[in-house]
Amino acid sequence: MDREIELRLVARLTAGDPAAFEAIYEAYRPRLFGFLVRLSRRRDVAEDLLEETWLRLVTRATTLTADARLAPWLFTVARNLYLSWRRSRAVDSTRTSELDPAWPAPERGDSPFEAAARAELERRVEAALARLPLRDREVLLLVGVEGMTPSEAAGVYGLPAVTVRARLHRARERLAAEIRASRPESRAKAG
Amino acid sequence: MSMTTWEPGDVVEEGLSALRAHDAPPERVERIRARCVAALAARRRTEEARGWSLAGWRGWLEPALALGLGALYLAEAISRALAVYR
Repeated sequence: MDREIELRLVARLTAGDPAAFEAIYEAYRPRLFGFLVRLSRRRDVAEDLLEETWLRLVTRATTLTADARLAPWLFTVARNLYLSWRRSRAVDSTRTSELDPAWPAPERGDSPFEAAARAELERRVEAALARLPLRDREVLLLVGVEGMTPSEAAGVYGLPAVTVRARLHRARERLAAEIRASRPESRAKAG
Repeated sequence: MSMTTWEPGDVVEEGLSALRAHDAPPERVERIRARCVAALAARRRTEEARGWSLAGWRGWLEPALALGLGALYLAEAISRALAVYR
């Protein structure tokens, strides 16, 4: 989102303008939902956390500073809500189950062969992400999927950017290893 | 993708770019929208009510103060005028 537009939207939202909320909601809702669903691996949980995140935004809009950045603010709230949910449910494993195979996703208009190949790659990447520890998964989602800079992601964590870069480097290596290990030829060799 | 340090053909970049976008079901999207818009409207009503309350208070206090001070001034002027003639 263009920074000037973002600043105007923040000002209008702080003043209680519903049209500003609509614009922010349309821009960030799918991104937040994708982030939450890949963190929690459960659509029902992601939907609940998504709702709570947006309610936090509108109820706390008056506390936003004039130069607030929406993406780090929203992802910070969403991440904190997810961590609270995990603690409340005593989810003790840092790794989560793989996605539901009935995971609905939009069509891309590929040929059947391309669609099958893409679906296979996506399935392997989703599974590889799910096997990563939470801290690796979330940094990859924020930077690799959501397109945040390491500095913006550092704002979400409340950590120095250099720490996030190191974490990102480690997470990338782990994900690459997981993806390579999940290739059919790798599995055949292992078997 | 902003992970610009990645090499072309990077297995991670390729893998993450294969992930599709997701969204909540339409009925949930609408429910969240309705709740948030209602929360914004409630906040605006509260702020307006507070504004009206303040305006109402100022609406009677300011004329009363002006009237009181005017009466005091007039009383003082009359008493001084009377003192001159006594």
